[in-house]
Amino acid sequence: LWHFLATLIRLVSTFNGVPAGLADADTIFALSSGHGRCGVAVVRVSGSASSMALRCMAGLKRRLPSPRTALLRSITDPHSKEILDRGLVLWFPGPHSFTGEDSVEFHIHGGPAVITAVLQALGSMPGMRPAEAGEFTRRAFQAGKLGLTEVEGLGDLIHAETEAQRRQALRQMSGDLERLYQGWSHRLKRCLAHVEAFIDFSEDELIEDGVLERVDSSVSTLLAEIERHLKDERRGERLRSGVHVVIAGATNAGKSSLLNTLCQRPAAIVSSIAGTTRDVVETGLDIGGFPVLLSDTAGLRDSTDLIEQEGVRRARERCLLVLNKTDLLPEAQRQKLERELKGVSGLPPVCLISCQTHEGLQDFLSVLQSRVKTLCGDPLSDAPTLTQARHRAHLQQCVAALAQYQKLRDTDLALAAEGVRLALTSLGRITGKLGAEEILDIIFKDFCIGK
Amino acid sequence: MKLQPVRTIHSLVSRCISHLSRQCYDVIVVGGGHAGTEAAAAAARMGAETLLVTQKIHTIGALSCNPSLGGVGKGHLVREVDALDGLCGRAGDWAGINFSILNRSKGPAVWGPRAQLDRQRYREFIQGELRSISRLTVLEGSVEDLLVAEPSPDEPGSHRVTGISLENVLNPITASSVVLTTGTFLSGSIFVGQTTSPGGRIGDAPSSAGLSHTLKERLGLRVGRLRTGTPPRIVKESVDFALAELHPPDRRPTPFSFMNTHTRCKVEEQVPCYLTYTTPGVERVVQESLHLNCHIQQDTKGPRYCPSIESRVLRFPGRSHQVWLEPEGVTSDLLYPQGLSMTMPPEMQLRLIREIPALHRAEIHSPGYGVQYDYVCPTQLSSALQVKTTQGLFLAGQINGTTGYEEAAAQGLWAGVNAACRALSTPPVSLSRTESYIGVLIDDLVCRGVTEPYRMFTSRAEFRTALRPDNADLRLTPKGYELGCVSPSRYQEAMRVQRSLQDAMAALQALTLSTARCREKLPDVRVSESKNAALTGMELLQYKELSFETLASVFPERLSSYLEFSQRLKIEAVYKPHCDINKKEIERIQKEENMFLPQDIDYFSLPASLSQEAREILDRVRPTTLGAATRLEGITPAAVVSLYNYVQFAEKKGENGQQKTTRSK
Repeated sequence: LWHFLATLIRLVSTFNGVPAGLADADTIFALSSGHGRCGVAVVRVSGSASSMALRCMAGLKRRLPSPRTALLRSITDPHSKEILDRGLVLWFPGPHSFTGEDSVEFHIHGGPAVITAVLQALGSMPGMRPAEAGEFTRRAFQAGKLGLTEVEGLGDLIHAETEAQRRQALRQMSGDLERLYQGWSHRLKRCLAHVEAFIDFSEDELIEDGVLERVDSSVSTLLAEIERHLKDERRGERLRSGVHVVIAGATNAGKSSLLNTLCQRPAAIVSSIAGTTRDVVETGLDIGGFPVLLSDTAGLRDSTDLIEQEGVRRARERCLLVLNKTDLLPEAQRQKLERELKGVSGLPPVCLISCQTHEGLQDFLSVLQSRVKTLCGDPLSDAPTLTQARHRAHLQQCVAALAQYQKLRDTDLALAAEGVRLALTSLGRITGKLGAEEILDIIFKDFCIGK
Repeated sequence: MKLQPVRTIHSLVSRCISHLSRQCYDVIVVGGGHAGTEAAAAAARMGAETLLVTQKIHTIGALSCNPSLGGVGKGHLVREVDALDGLCGRAGDWAGINFSILNRSKGPAVWGPRAQLDRQRYREFIQGELRSISRLTVLEGSVEDLLVAEPSPDEPGSHRVTGISLENVLNPITASSVVLTTGTFLSGSIFVGQTTSPGGRIGDAPSSAGLSHTLKERLGLRVGRLRTGTPPRIVKESVDFALAELHPPDRRPTPFSFMNTHTRCKVEEQVPCYLTYTTPGVERVVQESLHLNCHIQQDTKGPRYCPSIESRVLRFPGRSHQVWLEPEGVTSDLLYPQGLSMTMPPEMQLRLIREIPALHRAEIHSPGYGVQYDYVCPTQLSSALQVKTTQGLFLAGQINGTTGYEEAAAQGLWAGVNAACRALSTPPVSLSRTESYIGVLIDDLVCRGVTEPYRMFTSRAEFRTALRPDNADLRLTPKGYELGCVSPSRYQEAMRVQRSLQDAMAALQALTLSTARCREKLPDVRVSESKNAALTGMELLQYKELSFETLASVFPERLSSYLEFSQRLKIEAVYKPHCDINKKEIERIQKEENMFLPQDIDYFSLPASLSQEAREILDRVRPTTLGAATRLEGITPAAVVSLYNYVQFAEKKGENGQQKTTRSK
């Protein structure tokens, strides 16, 4: 069994350019049903922390459900205890599971918001990380869950699942994004080659002055670029999964009317899901080509929690003030109101509308659209943005590894170089693998190494 | 441990064939260079009756090119050869006249122990060692051919080598294993200017054409051609040292060998090196002599990292290149100009060196020259360095496409160990790339092959942080002792060191200090304020500014007994977290390397879903383990799964078969 394990991790990792590292220590999770809106989505979790995830998120304090039996539970965020969805959970204790490890399945509603929330909640727990492409199948392999004939067929599958998926992922990324990552990878290879040249040759040979200083500045520049890319406030991912717009306000202000009005606009494509846990109506809309998830709950409230206060502050920055029921206001009063609103500083943009008569609605829609557009970024003109959480994870590892270089550069260059290697490996998970020979090629191209 | 006193050395008693005590040996080693001497010594240490055949006994242990040993990557190999009780480390300590640790500022994983050597002392030491090894006989003679017989049906392979025949000698000498370490002598040609002559080294007879013919034609081995070169030797007193930079050695020489606490050469006896640079004049002479330079005009692959001055100037024009002036010995009146390997006519060589300021009136003692030679494509070898298709034939050194004394010594030792294993009917052994640079070297050779002379670099080792020069003994000595190539005294010393290090690390782990006490006891250590948890001694040692000596002075009762290992403990502490990260992957690779692929698989008819391309690659390379197969270029994961599948199936069948036999008993 061990052999099996070893081989498969190794061979798959060879393909990803990933030294298999700590892969099988982690518990992995992923959306196992297709992407895009659908009725039911299946999120699969596999690994030793699965039972912990199940307990924390399905409120099962005492004992786990009977194996392989569907159970309807509220699914909550393990930290905030906020209810994310209500759905089925299934517990597959190892070894009688697809992967042979303890596994859990969450069958939840297929809305992007729900899926993202559940995935984020899983990712926030210790020992959990998003699965690599094909990793569930790989683990199934490792556990010997697939027989001889299946292995034969799966040989090609592994191939498809790693290399092809990587290519596909690259293809999915806009050409700009691919160029961006390839560019980083290329620069990082050069950095590594120069550090290696300095280690292997500088004592004997004439490695020009300042090689390491140039690497330092390249690494700093790269680090800054990657960090900036990571700090895009998830614009790319948001574009993929939708901007959350919440209608908040006093009861009877017409929130539901506004929602309904917006949904009935011919411009908006409607797919409405009635929430099962709360009286939430969540609706997917397409506003000017950008995906929007509209809900009329979860208003702003005062809080003593620092993090929540910060959240509220940020949310206020992104507010639109909508005043409904203009049809009930006499013209004179309305003009007075508009004048007074202009006099108040620090107010968000104000829209006066009437859900009844649809007055001002067009203006409101265009204001909303420009807001959403700012949040998503314009994929056509802006710098490319991150589109996948998996890529984000690799880039974060890359940043951490580059920080190791910076930290150890003066004390131990061998360990610092290990940092650059790790960084390149992380990036290699997106862009492809790298061999020692490639580094040597760069060394010999750039330096005159001769005894 | 002290340096071994060298016996009075005359030359080795040259035994002519009629004096040989036997006509049959366990192991015959052909060649007396770095690979050959290590191979012969290792085979004899393993308990095999061994015969070393060389053209000239007095050139055994000769340093044919540079008078130095070790360096970055190469120094790692010397330490590992020494950990396996090889010769070159101790020889370096005996013959060294200028010791330095390269990369001192770059981290202990890439430290490069290096020494300039006295050529004569080195030869003396190697010859003395060989004389003192029991079961080893040295014979002066020229090998005419290999004895080739039908293969034994119990092993894979289509031929079997059973011994050698010597020139002008009627009776052949037989052996279970033959190790060929012929260096640059296989179809070697020497180039100086426009003249070429057969040979592998100036002053030595070319090797037999019969040997070359047998390897290529009878055994069907694929060979390639490589080139190398050596600089002219310069008369020391003709050099104007005032115009060169003085580079003194380390203030305290560090021995190569784990068995030595000091070197023979005292601090004050060390001889310095000098550094100087090429000028535009050098480039001009190269350009003007190009039409007179056969060697450089040919497109045979030379090394990218040890090129001749001609190729350096042609590839990187308009630059100044370094030239090191290295001593050739304590009493030698010659200098070795490292960086000036050249093949132009001798009169042009003189013009060229005089373009370098410090050499403006220099005289050449012997001109530089180039060598082209055949090498056997090393992918035809197993990780035991045996030719896969020929039972009993082992190859080591430059014949496998490598360059450098250290690379040769490492292969020689391992080929010698395996030649002995075969003769003594024990299974072949291999070293993993996860445990040693020797393993990296051999794995790279047999899995990837070479396109230019192969030299070791630290960047070739994936697990560089674990494979350090300081811990080669812990990594290899116990394994070597188990195999039989390490003496009990060395093993006991390694065990003592291992136990002490373990005890010391346990003591460090048990030593815990709160951050407040740290600041009080160790005010110079900048323990971060935010850390609330207590720190262990191991964690404290990870701070750059804290040495083990300092820590031991604060806690003498707990730590002072380990002061002998101060440096090693500091290194262990700093590298431990990084090594732990690598551990899992190392284990995985080792497991794959333990999955053996039968050597007699017919890859073309294997009932597995393999592409034709994969079958061809596997048939050509015949990887010995699944691990090796995964590293082959052009082998897809799908192919590896199929192979794996086959091996599992074959193993199961084997087990069932065995069970049946057991039952029937």
